[in-house]
Amino acid sequence: MDIDQARYHGWQGRLQSPWTSCIAIVRVALVQVLRNKAYWLLLALGALRFVAFWSIIYAVTQLALPEDVGEGLLKRFGFSANSDATQDNGYITFIDGQNVIVMILLAFCGSLLVGGDFRTKTLPFYLSRRIDKRHYIVGKLLAVSAIVSLLTVVPALLLFLEYGMFASSTSYWIDNWRIPVSVLAFGAVICIVNSILLVTISAYLQRIVPITITWATMFLLLGRLSAYVARETQVEYWRLLDPWRDMRLVGRLTFGTFRNDTEHELAWWSLGILTTLCAMSLAALVHRVRAVDVVE
Amino acid sequence: MHLVDIHHVSRSFGSVRALRDVNLTLSSGTIGLVGNNGAGKSTLIKVLLGLLKPDSGSGTILGCDILRSSSELRGRVGYMPEAAAMVPMLKGVEFVAFAGDLYGMPHRDARRRAHEVLNYVGLGELRYRRLEEYSAGNLQRLNLAAALVHDPHLLLLDEPTNGLDPAGRIAMLQLLEDLIAETGKSVILCTHLLGDVERICQQIVVLNQGTVVRAGTMDEMRSQVSNRYELTWSGPCEPYRAALAAAGATFADLHDHGQSKVMVSILDGFSTARFFELAHQSQAVLTELRPDEENLERLFFRVTEEAATATAT
Repeated sequence: MDIDQARYHGWQGRLQSPWTSCIAIVRVALVQVLRNKAYWLLLALGALRFVAFWSIIYAVTQLALPEDVGEGLLKRFGFSANSDATQDNGYITFIDGQNVIVMILLAFCGSLLVGGDFRTKTLPFYLSRRIDKRHYIVGKLLAVSAIVSLLTVVPALLLFLEYGMFASSTSYWIDNWRIPVSVLAFGAVICIVNSILLVTISAYLQRIVPITITWATMFLLLGRLSAYVARETQVEYWRLLDPWRDMRLVGRLTFGTFRNDTEHELAWWSLGILTTLCAMSLAALVHRVRAVDVVE
Repeated sequence: MHLVDIHHVSRSFGSVRALRDVNLTLSSGTIGLVGNNGAGKSTLIKVLLGLLKPDSGSGTILGCDILRSSSELRGRVGYMPEAAAMVPMLKGVEFVAFAGDLYGMPHRDARRRAHEVLNYVGLGELRYRRLEEYSAGNLQRLNLAAALVHDPHLLLLDEPTNGLDPAGRIAMLQLLEDLIAETGKSVILCTHLLGDVERICQQIVVLNQGTVVRAGTMDEMRSQVSNRYELTWSGPCEPYRAALAAAGATFADLHDHGQSKVMVSILDGFSTARFFELAHQSQAVLTELRPDEENLERLFFRVTEEAATATAT
């Protein structure tokens, strides 16, 4: 049948579970971000860092570099050729660095992915289909998580694969099975925290400038402020006010590597703070999606 | 099975009672939901869609319970919101396919169906344009396509001609007429533009201050005014008016027709010959006696005014 024939045709198929719509929300969010050329710069920066790490691992494992040069290169990027407790720090270093790019990207994405739905009254478009606010919220959280993962978890896992692939045997993968598990766990922390905070902030503030200012305040200003107060009062607990540092500490918790005992002690506090923050944000988000855009 | 069957539905927002004990039974067809701004039209639409839970009351739409089966209900209903939805960076066909995805259609089906309905609503040539490039009229068509993508049994259209220029409005109404004629789908058209309802709808529901003041077919509505006449006479004015009033006729004119031209409602059993007798007794000459052919606009004003009077008393 020619679809260009301008007559109405019925549709006989069966509708799937509304949860499958979350996949569509993720797909559309990725399309929205990738079609915006302004974001390509940040995506390219992320890709560049990945290529740099990839090249270092390749150079050390494949090229006949002097041992001290190879070891120096690895250490410079956070890896260690010797099997010790700090061996997996390279992945933390990589994810931490990528997280900077992710933070900037998210600051600009919030309005596009979530804020616009509230600002242009597009939310009823979503909620008047078969999905309800649960599916909408989960879809949007997964969409942000997908963007975060593309820049952090996925390349980190690729680096792990590369390291093992270029090693002489499969023993690297077997001996370091905790690394991909830790990468996934750290990635999960980053995805959950970033997505919940971004979607909530964007739902309330909607426009790009207030979202960016709030995002920067939360992750930069709060960090500086907490560091200053901690330094002045000599109380390290003040640093817990920095959500970015909290994410890093929880990340180290998943890898089981800490620079000192204080970090280890603070990591559990960080986990508690992030959990509380996320729970409060999620409650605010649920309230926002229900109260404003459906009931006009 | 009734299309809509709701009983004692009430909904408040704080101190504002948006819907008050609404009872409504509608059969399939095209239904106009009319009322002034703030009459409760959009709230009723959202209750019908299962987006808002009523504070009290119950009901079914297409056999689906509005309290318990909202997801299933929305799978059988296509909703076109008042404000045209906008998902930036998407092309027209992607937007409509996305609507299909949100209804739970398999993605391949949603994509194919998006092409079909976009052709049907006349946007075939524009389907690969981004949403930001669509005009207001085309955005409304696009949203209609998004409401049609899963082939619903019922279309709920919230102000579909809102914000359109006259040409765009006529084109949208023509499209809706064609759609209704070709598919036989039931449509609930929510609007305050009475001309749109008069052109498209077979049934009408008039809302006023959250209450259904009239519901029925257009013909039923008009038959309710069979005892209304428009009288024009020459000669003295007041004696004839007084004689008519004494005979039980009530002056139901909503517009000022001048002193010697009035609209009167008469009681059952009042013979039209009495108009002439009373005119003769009042030394007036009845020059025109015409049964009232009430258009929707006058009907609307009359029923809302009657409702307001009843509320006041």
